Amino acid sequence: MAILEVENLRKNFDKLEVLKGISFSLEKGEALSIIGSSGSGKTTLLRCMNFLEMPTSGRITVNTDAGAHVLFDGSRAKALTEAEIRKNRLHFGLVFQSFNLFPQYTALENVTLAPRLQAKTREDYKANSKAILKEINEHGLALLAQMGLADRADYHPHQLSGGQQQRVAIARALALEPDILCFDEPTSALDPELTGEVLKVIRGLAEKKTTMIIVTHEMGFAHDVSDNVIFMDGGVIVEQGPPSQVLENPREERTRQFLRGYGG
Amino acid sequence: MFEQQFPIVFHSLNVGFLQTLKLFAVTLIGALPLGLIISFGSMSRFKPLSALTRTFVWIIRGTPLMLQLIIIYYGPGLLGNNWWGGGETGRFLASAIAFVINYACYFSEIYRGGIQGVPQGQREAGEVLGLTKAQIFFRVTLLQMIKRIVPPMSNEIITLVKDTSLARIISLQEIIWAGQSFLKGSQGISGIIWPLFFTGLYYLAFSGLLTILLARLEKKLDYFH
Amino acid sequence: MKKILALLLALVMIFALAACGNKTEAAKPEAAKSDSDMDYVKANGKLVVGITDFEPMDYQDANGNWIGFDADLATAFANSLGVDVEFAEINWDNKILELNGKSIDCIWNGMTLTDEVTSAASCSNPYMRNAQVIVLPAAEADKYADVEAMKDLTFAVEAGSAGEAAVAELGYKATPVTAQADALLEVAAGTSDACVIDLLMAYAMVGEGTSYADLTYTFSLNEEQYGVAFRQGSDLAGALNTFFANQYNSGALDTLADTYGLSGSVIAQ
Repeated sequence: MAILEVENLRKNFDKLEVLKGISFSLEKGEALSIIGSSGSGKTTLLRCMNFLEMPTSGRITVNTDAGAHVLFDGSRAKALTEAEIRKNRLHFGLVFQSFNLFPQYTALENVTLAPRLQAKTREDYKANSKAILKEINEHGLALLAQMGLADRADYHPHQLSGGQQQRVAIARALALEPDILCFDEPTSALDPELTGEVLKVIRGLAEKKTTMIIVTHEMGFAHDVSDNVIFMDGGVIVEQGPPSQVLENPREERTRQFLRGYGG
Repeated sequence: MFEQQFPIVFHSLNVGFLQTLKLFAVTLIGALPLGLIISFGSMSRFKPLSALTRTFVWIIRGTPLMLQLIIIYYGPGLLGNNWWGGGETGRFLASAIAFVINYACYFSEIYRGGIQGVPQGQREAGEVLGLTKAQIFFRVTLLQMIKRIVPPMSNEIITLVKDTSLARIISLQEIIWAGQSFLKGSQGISGIIWPLFFTGLYYLAFSGLLTILLARLEKKLDYFH
Repeated sequence: MKKILALLLALVMIFALAACGNKTEAAKPEAAKSDSDMDYVKANGKLVVGITDFEPMDYQDANGNWIGFDADLATAFANSLGVDVEFAEINWDNKILELNGKSIDCIWNGMTLTDEVTSAASCSNPYMRNAQVIVLPAAEADKYADVEAMKDLTFAVEAGSAGEAAVAELGYKATPVTAQADALLEVAAGTSDACVIDLLMAYAMVGEGTSYADLTYTFSLNEEQYGVAFRQGSDLAGALNTFFANQYNSGALDTLADTYGLSGSVIAQ
């Protein structure tokens, strides 16, 4: 069963319809890239799945080992409560285009903040707080090491390069062990010479079969790393399939036109 | 002559300066939290409340503090019932209320700038990590907001030190009043100018101290950008 | 959290508005109950006397108690009404505001009875004589022997004072300042050529032993009289006139004047 099912998702900003019925599914361990020109709705789609925007209608379902969770169902009359939204969000991790690290915290603190706050709600927290916090810290350090940043744990964001900051942000998103990791144009804010180190990290995650959705402009990277590619335009999915189809032999004229813009 | 005058003048100036300090402290204690409440009001998505608050802030910031002091102290009595009394306590209370309201409005704009100056992405980053609204405010945005408001707040606080002298319009006997009293004549000393100029030293010393403390606070927040 | 704060703020504002509304309405029946200022003062149990630090009329002794010709007289008057006396130092510019705002009940501070005062307040009969004098640098004094010679000078005068009225009458160029002391400062600093202040003030503030050793005062302008001001229509003015007459007849006024070095200034009641 697919880990994520999105059915007929729509999003309106007042009268402007940005998502016009998006449906796709994602298998566990799959890396999915979403491409398209700016304004095509791909970032809005990602934000809807993380509930930074509330979808107008449609359905989002996540199937984990623990069972099926309908995160959003537009046909239900009752709006989601804040607590429900918070719970939904934990299925997803999101890496922003502009990193959005917390400037007052060190790299390690950025990674461990959410786990530490979450641990406080555990019943055994009071009794074992020391051990729990130690474990969270070690997990954070391991994640930073995985990102190649073991020696940068105590640096503040402004002391790190853009590429390093984005890698901290990835570690932060991984710290809560989300079912699906989302990237919103993770290299667009970086100088060209820094994109490589971030792409390498994401590539490594793909090799470890991390379930991912990547909104990106890097066509070559999307081709190499993804199992499937979605091309969006004007709020609809124009074409989806493996990269060999969508990127190499697109069926749709609109896809071809878009790829020509990238010299593809 | 000077040797005999100095202890008398010095004592009077100290008493006046104590009043200045009291007004300064009460204004800060009252206006810092009230300003935050007003800033929330002016940012409220409930339109009538934000419109009302912004109009109020506009009125207070758009009129002289001296006028507000006169209205707050004399207004109730002119309308029929003076609830302040003529004594020092009433004058201080009226001054304090005028100052708290006035400075809260200035502070509210600084808070608003500070809150709105924290990038939206910071809040969103907190949200996608499953943080509650309170956690986002206290763990993520608050310190960034404080860092943003410290420099403009420092300016206002230094201005407040000097603005306290406005309260003498309703006869609050702060340090300028005390210094001037020896010009007119007081305690057998009259027609001497130096006590008035001497008050400047008090202001300089106090604002100097505050400048150092506030700069230290600013520096403490220098570890992040 | 925001909603709660918003609600709180709205409540505070409503409360503030309501408080204003209540106060004005509550005041009306009270005022209707009795128009007598005497009753008002007696109900409060004290007479609040608006003063400035002005030796020898109102000033503090070593213990911080208010004494002086006016202060002693005001205390005696309050006692005759059976109420306590309370002295409030005021900003002289705001004396009528203070009176109407009921933060004080009378102005009793060597106050010259000018048209401005008598038209805005109910005043007692005059009880003491005073004069306005011209102060100018001692070195210049010889050049200005009479009123005519001074017509090109600029004068600093206390706004709303008898001196301002006198200067205006003579057609001099005048700069109004907030206090008589400021008028002196203007002359000392050279920003004005001369100023007009009370004779009593000039005694205390000009010449040897003051910061104004280089200044001197010349002839008096019009003579004038001191009185006490109450709120417009107050019945306390009449009561004070009666009190003055009794004190004068008993010789107490003259005795008091002698105490404060004001012999011969008292006006017959």
